[in-house]
Amino acid sequence: MTDVTNFENKSMLSGAAQLFRAREHSIEVEARPLTDALPEPTIFNPPAPKRYYLYLMAPAIAVLAFISLYPFFWLIVMSLQSVDIGSSEWVGFRNYARLLKDPNFLSGWGLLLKYSAMCLFMQLAIGLMLAVIVNNHRYEKYLVTALLMPMMMAPAVAGLLWLFLYNGTFGWYHWILQSLGILDSASILASQSTSMYAIVFVDVWQWTPLITLIALAGLKKVPRDQLEANMVDGASPIRNFFAITLPNLYPVLLIAILLRFMDNFRFIDHILVLTGGGPGNSTKILPVYLFEVAFKFFKLGRGAAIALTLLIVTIVLGMILVRVFDKPQSERK
Amino acid sequence: MASQDVVHYDTPLQKALRVSAALFLAVYLIWTLLPFVIMFVSSFKDLLEAFNLPDVGDWSGVGIFFEFTPTFEHYSSLFSEGNFGRYMANSLIAAGGSAIVSVVFGSLAAYSLSRVEFRGKKDLFFWIISTRMAPVVAVMVPLYSIFRTLDLVGTLPGLILAYTTFNLPFAIWILKGFFDNVPYAIEESQMVDGSTRFQAFWSIVPLVAPGIGAFVVLCILFAWNDFLFAAIIGSGGAKTLPVATRELVQPQNIQWGSIMAAGVVTTAPMMLLGLVIRKYLVTGLTMGAVKE
Repeated sequence: MTDVTNFENKSMLSGAAQLFRAREHSIEVEARPLTDALPEPTIFNPPAPKRYYLYLMAPAIAVLAFISLYPFFWLIVMSLQSVDIGSSEWVGFRNYARLLKDPNFLSGWGLLLKYSAMCLFMQLAIGLMLAVIVNNHRYEKYLVTALLMPMMMAPAVAGLLWLFLYNGTFGWYHWILQSLGILDSASILASQSTSMYAIVFVDVWQWTPLITLIALAGLKKVPRDQLEANMVDGASPIRNFFAITLPNLYPVLLIAILLRFMDNFRFIDHILVLTGGGPGNSTKILPVYLFEVAFKFFKLGRGAAIALTLLIVTIVLGMILVRVFDKPQSERK
Repeated sequence: MASQDVVHYDTPLQKALRVSAALFLAVYLIWTLLPFVIMFVSSFKDLLEAFNLPDVGDWSGVGIFFEFTPTFEHYSSLFSEGNFGRYMANSLIAAGGSAIVSVVFGSLAAYSLSRVEFRGKKDLFFWIISTRMAPVVAVMVPLYSIFRTLDLVGTLPGLILAYTTFNLPFAIWILKGFFDNVPYAIEESQMVDGSTRFQAFWSIVPLVAPGIGAFVVLCILFAWNDFLFAAIIGSGGAKTLPVATRELVQPQNIQWGSIMAAGVVTTAPMMLLGLVIRKYLVTGLTMGAVKE
């Protein structure tokens, strides 16, 4: 066979051939002298070294580090400075000291809690009721589609739309509220006592469907046998709801509440558009105040101090949320 | 379903409940959908017609809402005078760009996070999700100052990067859930057949593709609807639709017709997209915590 010499040559190149073992194997096996025992087939693809996965992760982590970790440390640095356009000087903890004496800062937290509480209460009550009504409804599919419309709208556009609807001279919702005798001729946005309700209504309008959707997903998983057993025992549907359905919903509702609560910190678009924190300071919840300090007056140092307090609270909330997330599905039902 | 086949005899209380439930649903639907109707119809109204309202308490006068001659003037002026074509392109590039960056990097990271265990993985995860949850205004303070030194303020790349702050963690978090559902055995069998590790990864991508597609759309939706980043970091050179719409509100003369038309232009595409990915919406909006 002419191949033999050829083969000798190849075995000298075995170092290189080793690299392509999987492909070469089947052809070469016949020509191999018996003495040259086949190497024991090791695992062809040993579990990937961690390094390999780290490489895959690297770009995302790098981007994330640049846009989240680096800014976070920069935020801490900024909060110790007095930053103006183009210049900054170290001021130590003066920014924080000022916060404690800042009435807007303290009332901002209060208003944020009040706003969140009002939003959450209404969304939860309405959303849950809707979910129960819509669940297994004849037109469930169409109803859900109609319900989730508001969520798709940009919050800023929603704010503008409601600015139009609330308008004291030509707003239709103003007209409806006025005709029902709830409001007098002044717009809901104009008075310090009602403006908070105005922004709450917009948030409720936009995000109640989310609670409904979450609750619906939970309702589908309420164990049927429990419901039936309870009914056989003679429980009324209402009793059934409170004894079986609601306890089964608690876990998903907890997630819904936490998510919405954090979103109340995140989204202030509609408030900026509708009231901008006014009239007076009646809707100046903390993120709105932060926006004003940092991006209207460009006191970035003071803004950084406020932002840091806001971030710390969010991180604590996030820890709670992750703990809820982490529970295995079976525990959550 | 056995219990439902039995004939029900409603007690009066149950009957009352049923009626009030239907009533509640009807009122809610009207309350929630009427703004859309008003926005849509008003965008075709003349400035004066849009201001027509019946007298207070005059419920029979509601018909006045439909008394108008439709005009497309607002839409055409948006695009001819208002430069809305440009803003729309900005919105598309910023939202699409950040969605693509997030999903490409995100799926690689999510894949490896789902396949490997290491110390501190939990902490890494927490860092990722807390980036997503952080209030936009708070994130923007340092980001603005950094971007200003890098001359990224007012540019589309800057805006794409800013949107990536919430889209990338979102993509990693959600896509990891998808990859967790794909058994490692599939990749193993591919590698036994001689494919490289990356080819093996590539071979399972089709399995998660529908999910990835849905989350590209969700990322676009989040970015498209953003106002704060666009208003501050995109201000000037990279004006997006929500910001442009907001700017139609002038202190002296508010162009309500144009605003409503701009609202329709901004909202309609996202509504269609939302309907397309309806199946993934709950999973997406709850960060994967609730599955339908």
